Amino acid sequence: MKKVISNRVFLFSVLILILVFRFEYIINSFLLLFYFIKLFFTDYSIAAGQCTLNLFDCFLSAILIIILPAVIVIYRKSLRFLNSGVSFSSITIIILFILYVFAPLITTSHPEFQKNINVTKLLPPLSSVDQIHSLKNHDALGTYFSLKQKVIKNSFDDNLLFADSIKKDSVLSYFQKGQRYSLLISGADHSEGDFKISRKHFLLGTDEFGRDIFSRLVYGARISITIGILSVLITFILGSLLGFFAGFTGGILDSSLNRLSEMFLSFPVIFLIILIIALFGNSIVSIIIVLGFSGWMGLFKIVRGEIITLKEKDYFLTAKLLGVGNFKLIFSEMLPVISAPVIVNLIFQFGNVILAESALSYLGLGTGGIYPSWGGMIESGQSYITHAWWMILFPGLALFFTLFMTNSLGNRIKIVFNPRVKK
Amino acid sequence: MKPKQVFFCIVLILAIYLPSCVNNNHEKNDRIVVAIPADAESLNPLFAFSFQEVNITELLYLSLVQHEWNDSDGDVKTSPMAAKNWVWNDDSTTITLNLRDDINWRDGHKLTAEDVIFSFDVYSDPDVQSRFFGTFNKFYLEKDQHIDLQKSFDSDNPYTIKIHFKPHSNPGLVDIDPPILPKHVFSNFDRKKFVQLEKGNDSVTCGPFYLSKWNPTQSIILKADENSFLYKPGTVKELIFKVIPDYNSRVTQLKNGEIDLMENVKPDQLSDLKALNRIKISAVKGREYDYAGWNNKIDLFSNPKVRNALTYAINREEILTEYLGNNGDLAVGPVAPIFKDSYNHNLKPFDYDPQKAKELLASDGWEDINKDGILEKNGVQFSFILNYAGGNPRREFAATVIKNNLKAIGVDVKAEPLEQGVFMEKMFTHKLNAWLAGWSVPIPIDLKPYWYSDLKQGSFNLTSYKNSTVDELLDKIEKSKPGSLKNELYKQLQEILYQDEPVSFLYWIDNNVAYNDRLENIKITPLGSVHHCWNWSVKN
Amino acid sequence: MVCFIFILLRISPGDPSLKFVSPELNPGLAQKIKESFGLNKPIAEQFIQFISNIFTGNFGVSYEFRKPVAGVIKNYLYFTFVFSLISFIIQITISYFLALLSVKKINGIVDRFLNKTSLVLYAIPSFVLGVFLIFIFSEKLKLLPASGLMSYDSESLSGSARITDYFLHMILPVITLSLGGIAVFYKYLRDNLDEVFNKPFVLNSYGYGLSKKEITKKHIIPNAISPLISIAGVELGILFSGALITEVIFGLPGMGRLTVNAILSRDYPLVVGCTFISGVLIIISNLLADLLKAEIDKRLIAGMIN
Repeated sequence: MKKVISNRVFLFSVLILILVFRFEYIINSFLLLFYFIKLFFTDYSIAAGQCTLNLFDCFLSAILIIILPAVIVIYRKSLRFLNSGVSFSSITIIILFILYVFAPLITTSHPEFQKNINVTKLLPPLSSVDQIHSLKNHDALGTYFSLKQKVIKNSFDDNLLFADSIKKDSVLSYFQKGQRYSLLISGADHSEGDFKISRKHFLLGTDEFGRDIFSRLVYGARISITIGILSVLITFILGSLLGFFAGFTGGILDSSLNRLSEMFLSFPVIFLIILIIALFGNSIVSIIIVLGFSGWMGLFKIVRGEIITLKEKDYFLTAKLLGVGNFKLIFSEMLPVISAPVIVNLIFQFGNVILAESALSYLGLGTGGIYPSWGGMIESGQSYITHAWWMILFPGLALFFTLFMTNSLGNRIKIVFNPRVKK
Repeated sequence: MKPKQVFFCIVLILAIYLPSCVNNNHEKNDRIVVAIPADAESLNPLFAFSFQEVNITELLYLSLVQHEWNDSDGDVKTSPMAAKNWVWNDDSTTITLNLRDDINWRDGHKLTAEDVIFSFDVYSDPDVQSRFFGTFNKFYLEKDQHIDLQKSFDSDNPYTIKIHFKPHSNPGLVDIDPPILPKHVFSNFDRKKFVQLEKGNDSVTCGPFYLSKWNPTQSIILKADENSFLYKPGTVKELIFKVIPDYNSRVTQLKNGEIDLMENVKPDQLSDLKALNRIKISAVKGREYDYAGWNNKIDLFSNPKVRNALTYAINREEILTEYLGNNGDLAVGPVAPIFKDSYNHNLKPFDYDPQKAKELLASDGWEDINKDGILEKNGVQFSFILNYAGGNPRREFAATVIKNNLKAIGVDVKAEPLEQGVFMEKMFTHKLNAWLAGWSVPIPIDLKPYWYSDLKQGSFNLTSYKNSTVDELLDKIEKSKPGSLKNELYKQLQEILYQDEPVSFLYWIDNNVAYNDRLENIKITPLGSVHHCWNWSVKN
Repeated sequence: MVCFIFILLRISPGDPSLKFVSPELNPGLAQKIKESFGLNKPIAEQFIQFISNIFTGNFGVSYEFRKPVAGVIKNYLYFTFVFSLISFIIQITISYFLALLSVKKINGIVDRFLNKTSLVLYAIPSFVLGVFLIFIFSEKLKLLPASGLMSYDSESLSGSARITDYFLHMILPVITLSLGGIAVFYKYLRDNLDEVFNKPFVLNSYGYGLSKKEITKKHIIPNAISPLISIAGVELGILFSGALITEVIFGLPGMGRLTVNAILSRDYPLVVGCTFISGVLIIISNLLADLLKAEIDKRLIAGMIN
C-alpha cells in the first residue's frame, strides 16, 4: 500500500483539530478543575457531593487532549503501530479511540438531552434551531457552579429553550410550531443581557425526542466498546485458563471440559443469551458477563489444541528434559506460540460481541433503555424509517465500520501469523 | 457451462416475476381485510383472553343480549340478541328470557335454553378455567365458584329460561352476556381437556359469521352466515383478519389497499394517512390510561404533597402532543371522560409547573443542601428507579421525558426497562417503588380492585394506597344501582383521588382506527373496532 | 444442557400464569391455571416429572398454545426446515461459483472485487440489511411484500400464482439470511482453493500433463471443499435452530421466534422442547457433515492410489 500519511500524523492532526475547535471548552474544563480543587479544600462536604463520573470524565479528557499530542511528538520513534501508513481499519480504530476517550470534548450536548420536543424532534442532518439561553440565575451560584453549568452536560437544562424562530423588540418573542410565546427582556428583574441567543446545530440530525444523534452515536460507541472489551476479557480469561488446564493436565479434566464445550457448541448461543438476559434482567453488567461467557468455547478449543500439539513437539520435550521449571516453560515456550491464534480469535470475538449487543438491543433486550446504544438506536429508528432515515443510517454505518474493521484486522493478523496464506 | 445457465435461468425467472407482482389488486367488493398485530390463540369464547380474541368470538357466537355504546351519556345500551325479550320480577332477582326460535348452529341443531344453561355451567366450572371463571358473583354459587345450576336456572320449554340471582346482588344485563356455546358439541369432550381442543375445532357457531379458514400465524377468515337473523343482504360477505406483526407493514398495506382497517395508528402517521383521500380515521376516545405508580408505603412517596409535586413536575402535555399527537386527554383520575355521566368535569388537570413542584417539595422539607443537584431530606437523597416494561415505545417515550422532567426539579431518577414478565411479577408482588404502567377501565366501570385498601378485594391496588373514605365510597358504589346517585359517588371518589394523587395519572389514550373509505355503515366504538361489523357494507 | 435450561428457567423471576391476571378476570383463575400447569408442586417433584418426560419423548403441554409441545414445534419446524434449506443451498452454490470465478485468476480484478465485497457483506449486520431491504423494495419501489409468509388470499389463488406468492414473500428474507453466509463461505472456499493450488501435488499433476480443468475438478475442488464441509454443517445446524433476526424483521413463523416468544412468555415446556430439538438438529447436521467429509476423503485417497 502506498504510504500517504502515517497513522501518527492522522491521529495527531485529529487531536489538534479537537484542541483548536474546542479550545474554549477545554480552558473552561481546566478552570473548573481548578475551582473544584479549591472547593475541595475549602468546603469538603459540598465537594464530596460533586464527585460524579461526568465530572471526572470531563477532567480526564481535558487533560488527555493536552498530554496525548505531546506524547505522540515525544515518542514518535517508538510507537510502531502509529508509524505505519493509514489504512481503513487503522483509521476506524483511531476514530473509535478518540470517540471513546474524548466523548465529552467532541459532543456539544448530553446524549439524553431533550427539550422542546416539538421544535427539535426528527430534524434531518445538518439542521439547526434557535436557542435562547437565560443567564439570569448564573451569577447567584458562584463561579464554580456557573462554570459547571457551562462545562458539564446535563440531560436537562431549565434555562434553555429551543425555538423555530425568534423576534426581538420590546419583548423577546419566540415561535414554537407556529405558537407565539414571549419573554420580558426589560423590566424590574430582567435586562437584555439576561438572554443569550444562539443557534444549535445538529450534525447528524435528531431522533424522536429531539436528542442529538451525533452525541448518542459517540456515547453509544463508548457503551459498545466497553461491553466489547470487558466481555472479551472475560472470554479470554475463561477460555484460555480452561483451555490451558485442559491441555496441560489432560485426563478426566480435559475430557470433561471438552464435553462441556461441545455441549455448549451444540446449542444455539443466541437463545442462551436471550434466555439469561430475558430472565435475569438486561443490566449492562449482566450483558457483559453473558456475552463474555458465551464465547469461551472457541477460545478453549484453540488453546487446548495448541497446547496438546505443543506438548508433543521436540523442542518442548527437550526443554522439559533439561529441567526447565513448569512456570518458565509456560511463559517462555508456550505463550509465544499460542498467543497468535488467541489474539486473532479475540479480535473476531470482539466483533461478535459488539454485533451481539446490538442485536440484543435491536430485539429490545439490550442496554438501549438506559444508555444510548447502536442497536437500540437502529431499533427505535426502524419505526421512523419512512421519514427519518438518518436515525437508522448513522448507527448502522457505525456498526458496519466497526465490524468491518475487526474483520479485516483479524484477517490481516491471521495472514501475518500464518505465512502460508498469501494475500 | 451448466451452472451458468442455471444462474441465468434464475435471473430470468426473477425478471419475469418481479413486475408481475406490482399492483396486485386485492380489493374485492364483499370482502373486508382487518389487520391484527398477532394471531389469536383461541377463538373459543371460553379461552378468548385478549380483547382482540373477544371481539372475534363475538362475531362467531351469539349472546343472550348485545351491548351498544351510547355516546351521549357515555354508557352501554343493551338490546336483544339471542333473547327476544325479557322481564325482571319485582325485586329484580329473577329474569325471564324468551329466546328466538330461528337460531341454528352451523350443524343444523337449534339453539335452545339447554345451550344457555350449559354455557353458564362450563364458564363457571373450575375444571375448565374459562375466562369468566369466578366472575359470577351474583349467581347462586357452589363452594368452588361453580354456578349452582339447580338454584339458578329454570326452563319449562326450549325457548324460555328463567335465571335466579342471589337476593340483594343487584344483577344486571351485563351479568348474562357471555357468548352461548353449543352443548351438543362440547358435552362430548372431557371438560379438563377443553383447553387443548385443536384450533378450528370450535367451528360449530351460531353468530352472524362463521369460521371459514384459520391459517395459524397468517390469517383468520370469517364468512357471513346468510341464514343468520343478523344477516342483511348487501353487507360484508367475507371478513379476513390478517396477522401482520410489524406496525410499519400494517401502515404500508393500508396505504396500498391490501388491508381495509387497522387499529392503533400511531399519531405521527395520522397526517400521512389523512392526506390520502381513500382513508378515513376514526378516533375512539380512550378508556385506557397510563400512570406513573408510586409505592405509597415507602417514605419517599407516602406524603400526598410529594406525589402532587411529582405530577406537577411531569410535562404530560409534551408527551401527549409529541408522542400521541394530541390523540388523548390529560387524566385527572381513574374514570375516563367517555363515561360522561360519571366523569367529574370540575377537576382540572395538573399543569406542568416545575416551580410549584419545587415549592411543594421544599414545604415538605426537601432541599438541596450539598448542591449536587439532588434534593435531600434528613440526609436521604430523593432518588429512585423508575421501571417500565421494555418493548412498549409509548412508555419508553414517557419514561425518557419524565426522567428528565424530574431531574430538572432535583429528583434523581433512573429509568430502567425490565423484561415484560419480570416487570409484571415485580409489580404484582409490590416490589417496585416507582413504575410506569397503564390500566384500561372496564365497561361498565369497576374501580374497586384498583383502589380498595384491603388487598384481597383490591388486588390491583399496586401502590398500596390506603384511604378509608375511598374504601367507604367504593363499598357504596358496589351496592348502588346505576343512576345519578352512583355517578355522584364516582365524582366524589375522583375528587379524593385527585387530591391524594396515589399515582400520577398521565393521560387517556385514544385508539385511532384507520379504514378504507369504501367501508360504509361503519361505526367504531369503545367496545371494539369490529364490534357489530355485520352491519358494515362495501361501497361499489 | 436441557437440565441446565430447566433449572435456569425455574430459578428465574416471572410466572407463566401472570398472563391471566387482569382486572376483568377472577384472581382465582391464575391460581387454578398455575395448578393445572403443575407449578405449585415442589421444584424437586417437578424436576423428576420433567426428566421422566424427556426420556419418554414427551415434553408436556405448551402453556401458551395449550397443545402438546411436539405438535407446536412441528408446525414451525416445517417452515424453518424449508427456509433454511433454501438459504443454505443458495449460500453454498453462489459462494462456490464465486470462489471458482475468483480463483481463475488470483489477485485479478474479479478476485479483488469479490474479496472486498465479501468483507463488506460480512460486516453488514442482518438487522440493518433487512430493514433497508424492506425500506427500498417494499416501501419505496413497492416491488416486494414486506413481511409474512403469504398473502391472506393465497387460498383463493391458483397453483402457480400461489407459488409465486410464496416466492415473492421469500425473496427478501432469503437475501437477508444468505448474504452473510455467502460472504463467509466464499472467503473460506477461495482461500482454501488458493492454498490447494499451491500444494506440491497439484504442481506435480501439471507435470504429468493433466489439463488445468481436469486437475481442478479431480483434485483441487475435493481437497478444498472437505474442510468447508464441517463449517457448512455447523452453519446448517444453526440455520435449523432458527434465523431469529430475519424471522423477527419479516414476521416469519420460524423456530427462532417461537423459541424467543416461549422464553419471554415463560412457556417452560416449549422452551425446553425448542432447545432440545435445536440441539438435536445441530448434532445431526454436524454428523452429516462428518459423514460426507469422510466419504470425500475416502474417494480422494482412492483417487490418489489410482
